[in-house]
Amino acid sequence: MKNLKHLLSQPLQQIHSSAIVFILIIALIGFIDASYLTIEHYRGVIPPCSITAGCEDVLTSGYSIILGIPVSIVGSLFYLFILIGAFAYLESKNTLILKWALVSTILGFLFSLWFTFIQVFILHSYCIYCLGSAFSSTILFVTAMHIFSRYQEQNI
Amino acid sequence: MNTRRFIFWGGFIIILGLIIWGLIVAMNKPTGADVGAPAPITVTDHVQGPVDAPITIIEYSDFQCPACAYFQPFVTRFWNEASTSVRIVYRHFPLDNLLPDGSVQHPNAVPAAMASEAAAKQGKFWEMVDMLFEGQSDWESLPNASSTFLAYATELGLDPVKFTADFEDKTNEDLIQSQKNEGIRIGISYTPTFFVNGKIINNPQTYEEFKTLVESTASANPL
Repeated sequence: MKNLKHLLSQPLQQIHSSAIVFILIIALIGFIDASYLTIEHYRGVIPPCSITAGCEDVLTSGYSIILGIPVSIVGSLFYLFILIGAFAYLESKNTLILKWALVSTILGFLFSLWFTFIQVFILHSYCIYCLGSAFSSTILFVTAMHIFSRYQEQNI
Repeated sequence: MNTRRFIFWGGFIIILGLIIWGLIVAMNKPTGADVGAPAPITVTDHVQGPVDAPITIIEYSDFQCPACAYFQPFVTRFWNEASTSVRIVYRHFPLDNLLPDGSVQHPNAVPAAMASEAAAKQGKFWEMVDMLFEGQSDWESLPNASSTFLAYATELGLDPVKFTADFEDKTNEDLIQSQKNEGIRIGISYTPTFFVNGKIINNPQTYEEFKTLVESTASANPL
């Protein structure tokens, strides 16, 4: 927690542009994935039972909605936030949004763990789009941690 | 500098907007463009309605699929309202696929289809179809649903001994799997899949939309 406070109080420096482009690409994939699920939710179509199994069970389960809000829209906004952060950095080296975006990947990762746990141990059904989102948010988390650790090394 | 920022962020917003728009367009595309025509109706099919009906609906369905249970009342109501001009054909498409964790997607789908075939042997196929869908939530999670199916058979006034013998008759399983295999061959990937006069249709959410879609598809594709 102290490290996090320290990180947030300091400006991020010397992040390789390729790392940000990588984050941008992964966040874009996650954004498309989560937006697909969000649109699917709001289309109000009864999801048919698919031969590839799983998605309809996962998406119609009670776990797909928290306080009336579909979790996919939270996912879409999460990836949008990362996209804005990465883009702001590329566009004007603005690190403020990027820093918070990178920190938010911790939450993204924890939520992904929880939703994967639900699919494996509670629903016993797997939705490829949900697993895809879990995968992309994990990659974002690992990349963010990598950026932070390098930053710390530079500041010791 | 401000113009540059404007262009950058404008481009960013436009690209995201295009992505969302593209997704919506792609998702609203009519389904089944790559699905073939269903096989001709044979004596092994379950058919309700006159042979010369101008509207023929062929349904590929799975008794354990919640969406199939949702749509079945549409089919029943449509048939009840226009039974002289509509022919309904029910084909089995049980999603009994093996999942990555070793479990079966819809483990009671084939037993339920077997129950419907056993009921058909005593002339109560369609009655059993309605009972299976109406009671889906009661038997879908049972490790063995055969006693529930037997109770349905008894409620329909079927001979329980004959029903049990037919329920266990493996030749029915071959028929069920052959209908499913035929569905796979023509490219069906979900249930329920409806064909109206040989043309696949989308699954609309309300009965009124379903009725309109069936009628318009039938008039565009006369038999």
